[in-house]
Amino acid sequence: MPVHATGPRLFSSIKLKVLGVHSGSAGGSRPSNVFLNLTPFVDMMTILVSFLLMVFSSTGELLQAQAGLDLPLADNKDTLQLAPVIIVTKREITYQGELVATIEAVMRDDSPAFKIDALFERLDAASKKIKEDVGLGKIARDLAKACEEAKNGLRPEPGKLCPDGLAILQADQGTDARLINKIVNTAKAAGFDNLLFAVKNK
Amino acid sequence: MGAAVGTEGGGRNVNVDLNIVPFIDLLSCLTAFLLVSAVWVNIAQINISPKGKSRDQAVIDEERDKVMLSVLIEADKIWVGLSRINEFQEIAKGQDGQHDWAKLETALKDQKGSAYFSDRADLELAAESTTGSEVSYQDVIQAMDIAVKVGFIDVGLSDPAGLSARPTL
Repeated sequence: MPVHATGPRLFSSIKLKVLGVHSGSAGGSRPSNVFLNLTPFVDMMTILVSFLLMVFSSTGELLQAQAGLDLPLADNKDTLQLAPVIIVTKREITYQGELVATIEAVMRDDSPAFKIDALFERLDAASKKIKEDVGLGKIARDLAKACEEAKNGLRPEPGKLCPDGLAILQADQGTDARLINKIVNTAKAAGFDNLLFAVKNK
Repeated sequence: MGAAVGTEGGGRNVNVDLNIVPFIDLLSCLTAFLLVSAVWVNIAQINISPKGKSRDQAVIDEERDKVMLSVLIEADKIWVGLSRINEFQEIAKGQDGQHDWAKLETALKDQKGSAYFSDRADLELAAESTTGSEVSYQDVIQAMDIAVKVGFIDVGLSDPAGLSARPTL
């Protein structure tokens, strides 16, 4: 690639004579150079990129946005990690994006078992699969380490919890606490001993 | 090339102009990507351990011998109680119709400072919600958030009937 002397290219390649006349050459006979001051533009871009990098978050992709779902507010700052997601909106309960039951049907059910059968079946299957994966070492090394530490009773780092028995509950802030109790009981019975309640930072 | 040097006279090179076009290209691409992938809602989590019977775990008898701190949220009040001692503190709703979270925080701080819980971080929490006097999930999260803030980071959520210390009327 040849090395060219520096200087503006616009005027030489595109004959903008009007710029030559009105941009500093008093006589208008000789074409003059037109410099575009890019410094403020570069400054603005740099600040914008810095800001966007600061607010960039990878946790957003863990959760799905749904209609009728307004997360509760909290001051807690622990980050989420990848786990099966139970979503409770104003109308329905979904597990990994699949409809499990409607809120109305679950609240109408007064069975003494106090758990949601349709959700239990799915969670039970998922729990067994995760347990098998953890047993066979089919998880990331840092998570395997977290599982070992959990067995030894050590507290794991936030965002690095053992995936065995870990699930995320993403529920609307107006959800009745009875429904939350039912879901927590169901998850517990299926082997999910560790629930992460998704919240929105205040 | 990244830079070109003005050498018109053949003498000393004095002007160095950096070619910033690639830099601007990079910034533009990065800005576009970050704007598209930006998550404007900052989501976090509260970690809880459900209390009760698990599929793989037997009920631990050891916990029955310990004094447990229990928080029961009702539609119109909050109870903070100690098992075995059966001491209960009632926190009524404020004049604004909202739960008095400041009082709950003070009560939990007092318990955290006591001899029973100075070296412990576990707490039981339950919500008594009935038709007509419902407790919302936001209230449960608010109570958990306060508990974690005070230092009770092992919050266990249970049924109201499963609390170790349950007020009886």
